[in-house]
Amino acid sequence: MNNFTYTTAGSITAALQHTKRHPQAMYIAGGTNLLDLWKYNLLHPQTLVDLNGVPGYHTIEAKEGGGLQLGALVTNAATAYHPLIEQRYPLLSKAILAGASAQIRNMATNGGNLLQRTRCYYYYDGDVPCNKREPGTGCSAIKGYNRIHAILGASEHCIAVFPSDMCVALAALEAVVQITGQQGKRSIPFADFHRLPGNAPEKDNALQAGDIITSIDLPAKEFAHHYSYLKLRDRHSYAFALVSVATALELEGNEIKEARIALGGVAHKPWRIPEAEQLLQGKPATAESFAQAADKLLEGAQGYPHNQFKIELAKKAIIRNGLMALHPETQLPGAQPSA
Amino acid sequence: MRFFENQPAVTNAPEGRVEGVAKVTGSGKYAAEYHAGNMCYAVMAGSTIASGTIKSIHTTDARQVAGVLDIITHTRKPLVPGMADAAKIKESRFGLPVFHTDNIYFKGQPIALVIAETLEDATYAASLISAEYTTTEAKVDFDKAHAAVPLNAAGKERGSADAWRDAPYQSEAEYTIEHEVHNPMEMHATIAHWEGPDKLKLYDKNQGVNNVQRTFARLWNIPADNIEVFSEFVGGGFGSGLRVWPHCLAAIMAAKQVNRPVKLVLTRPQMFLLTGYRPKSWQKVRMGADAGGRFTGLLHQARHSTSVYESFNDGITRISRMVYNISNVKTEQATVPLNMSTPTWMRGPGDCSGAFAVECTVDELSYQLKQDPVALRLKNLAITHDPESGKPWSTHYLNECIEKGAALINWQQRKPLPGQDKEGDWAIGYGMATGMWNAGRGNASAGITMQRDGAITVKTAMTDIGTGTGTGIQNIAHEQTGIAKNKIKIELGNSHLPPAPSQGGSTGLSTISGAVAATCNALKQKLAGYAAAQDDTYKNAQAADIVLSDTGISWQTAGNHFIAYTSLFEKNNLTTVEVEASSGPGAERQQYAFCSSAAHFCRVKVHTKTGKVKIDKMVTVADGGSIVNEKAAANQISGAVVGGIGMALMEEQATDQRYGSLIGNDLAGYHFAVNADAPVIEVAFINKPDKNINPSGAKGLGEVGIIGCAAAIVNAIYHATGKRLRSLPVTPDKILLG
Repeated sequence: MNNFTYTTAGSITAALQHTKRHPQAMYIAGGTNLLDLWKYNLLHPQTLVDLNGVPGYHTIEAKEGGGLQLGALVTNAATAYHPLIEQRYPLLSKAILAGASAQIRNMATNGGNLLQRTRCYYYYDGDVPCNKREPGTGCSAIKGYNRIHAILGASEHCIAVFPSDMCVALAALEAVVQITGQQGKRSIPFADFHRLPGNAPEKDNALQAGDIITSIDLPAKEFAHHYSYLKLRDRHSYAFALVSVATALELEGNEIKEARIALGGVAHKPWRIPEAEQLLQGKPATAESFAQAADKLLEGAQGYPHNQFKIELAKKAIIRNGLMALHPETQLPGAQPSA
Repeated sequence: MRFFENQPAVTNAPEGRVEGVAKVTGSGKYAAEYHAGNMCYAVMAGSTIASGTIKSIHTTDARQVAGVLDIITHTRKPLVPGMADAAKIKESRFGLPVFHTDNIYFKGQPIALVIAETLEDATYAASLISAEYTTTEAKVDFDKAHAAVPLNAAGKERGSADAWRDAPYQSEAEYTIEHEVHNPMEMHATIAHWEGPDKLKLYDKNQGVNNVQRTFARLWNIPADNIEVFSEFVGGGFGSGLRVWPHCLAAIMAAKQVNRPVKLVLTRPQMFLLTGYRPKSWQKVRMGADAGGRFTGLLHQARHSTSVYESFNDGITRISRMVYNISNVKTEQATVPLNMSTPTWMRGPGDCSGAFAVECTVDELSYQLKQDPVALRLKNLAITHDPESGKPWSTHYLNECIEKGAALINWQQRKPLPGQDKEGDWAIGYGMATGMWNAGRGNASAGITMQRDGAITVKTAMTDIGTGTGTGIQNIAHEQTGIAKNKIKIELGNSHLPPAPSQGGSTGLSTISGAVAATCNALKQKLAGYAAAQDDTYKNAQAADIVLSDTGISWQTAGNHFIAYTSLFEKNNLTTVEVEASSGPGAERQQYAFCSSAAHFCRVKVHTKTGKVKIDKMVTVADGGSIVNEKAAANQISGAVVGGIGMALMEEQATDQRYGSLIGNDLAGYHFAVNADAPVIEVAFINKPDKNINPSGAKGLGEVGIIGCAAAIVNAIYHATGKRLRSLPVTPDKILLG
């Protein structure tokens, strides 16, 4: 760990001024990923700007006309257990609690959750090529041990996946990311926030240098009655998803009025295919219907020697989670939503 | 044998550990928590290639980091007399000749050691070290390499293969297990302090202080008495502390180099690399049975990984020679050198891997034979005699373990055929398997210091790696002396205390119980000697004639010819009474064979759509002889079962075949079972003494809790789904696609 200077920011404006003067500076909030990467000798911040003291972003507020505003500095744990989230957006609560560990969720912030780097083994091993870590060096995963890697939307330059659980639910809920940058405020729909690797896998998302996420806005549609988050993994807690599915349904009787399905653990971003969701409109909520949507979601999927199984696993998970969404009350609390 | 006759019941009362308060309040110190005056810190930098030689190491940038005191490499180091040349290195059998070679044997092999004023300085400087290498092709693909390695006989063939060639029921299959890593909670760490040119003090995490002491007495060519090793509190070992690893020598070299105390703590990724692991293995088992279900033959072949710089043999086929009565048994083994660090003993070494293959084979035969797996095993157990030596077992209650376990898990609810029991998409299955382990005993010493108020301190160099050794010693000393437990203190894990072997292989309590009993007798004799000056009755007393209490000594029955300790101390002008005695195995080892055993039962739910496995219930019943402390013993077993769950379902240290690097070598990347994976684990004991093994009647329990555990789980998965999975770990994808 290199020596560095540390400064606290009292406001967004002050933080932005600091990074304008020191373009190499990095922000820190929960630090749950940044410190790992630093200790693994992958990041070497010269200057840290601590955002935790910036007032105004530590609360969850109901918005007029529906929807919620999640402050970027609210912790993942506080969000998951917030009454407004538990009651109105239970899918988000379930997804958050399926991720990480209690200790990490207590530290990690909502803004930071969106900015996690991949857990690709080769990204973490500074001795071997990785286009995400050192653009142009090559991808070690494509011909390596690629068990946890992408089956959708990957490129010849990178097959890493984005590891967040929370973001899979945010994608399904069509959240909007509020940002303040050097040029002022702007918002990015969740589907456009994270990006596919293409030929620039070093870039995970649409943020520009200096940008600060200030809040994540949930639209009025809550999907509080028919939802489920299924996370399949190698152990039942504290493991990243092999495949995860966030399903939110609006039903009339057994007929699907609207469906949202987002996949985690399969791509460089939470994976949604609007056509797959449209396929479900007006269909009965049955295994057969979900199977059709699953096929659509997995169209073009490409496996590698160690993760070929994910294609089949993802399809089965989508079907199972669709059926689970019909009866969310059968889910156990906490980290075992798939029981 | 008064121990059994007088106080059989007292031992069973559940109670806390003698070291419990110290551990939970933090006053008990683990190796890295000590501080020595003027201490500095050392951090190792590793090679970035897996095979080749070092051309040059660049330390210039690292040297410029403020606080850096020195950097050790193979070209700049203090002289270690026992490693002065190639012949001495070989003779030392130390394993990796750290900083004494330019050869690179595995990726991450320490090539430089930065010594600095602070941990932060040393860590940062170590990150700036680089090297140039001549690279040679690394061999890390076990699957590719093993087939070319010829097998060697492991033990004498029993009977012949011809005798069962046409057995009507046969199972033949191959089994694989991935590399697994111990990962005790506490990192391995050493504080090395040269108190004089040939006087060394070490605070070190290990499972045997005398082993560490002897190792460095040889390497540094100094008397063992000049080396003091402290390992009073140990946060788990699982076998990883049975060897003396390179980082420990590195810390001592660093302390010599800068002439200051040096602390070296491994990082978690280094824990995967430098303190051993369970080798990856391939096994082939062929087993035959006659129409009645009697096993007629067994062929067990195994190969497992080792390093290229030394050979480690895990003994995987040993289990095939001890559990069942089989007339024809052939066992063969080989080791496969890879460019990885050397593996080592990991909980239930060898037998744990072997039992997976053999117990799955027995399960498979049971379905072929249409016989209940419980009944089939009971029919074939070698319950009276050790089939290998022909000696009678001193005690062996595996049959009772099986029967008790079957009752506890409600085995009769199990449907005979696989795939018959469903709850929606969940398939329910029952499985069982057995485990055995040789019950060993070593030579050990223990001492007692008695104060005038009758309080005693029992001392031995043996460590307590979390098994409850200290608590067990207190129980035994209480029973042997009659002195109240709150007046018995325990001192452990210091090489200057009476010597004891390393705590490993389930021998700790068995070994030390003899020494404790012997030193308790020595105390009685010594006190009787003082008493004889006041009362002739005590002349020529035997230990068996003496009854002690909290306050004094009596003749044969409590209160008879009572003399208070205070009076003895006063009359003889004593401040303390000190005794020490040794004890070890004897002629009983010629007469009997000794074993511990366990039966594991598992009820599992498998999601037929996603491959998710939920272990619904585990039952393990163990025969560990007398249970000296039930709470600690049950804790040993349930902990081992959690290890077995990990082995069965998730533990895998993957490697990259091109770079030779470990994949995901931290606690997020390497999965072992967490609470959410562990169900209710019901533990029960037979709790019958083995009167021949040692004065406590206790046999070891550390290993049998995991041996056979993975097989029970995988057999349950078969029963649930009809899928016979032979490669561990059984991750969801294997079930889905199996």
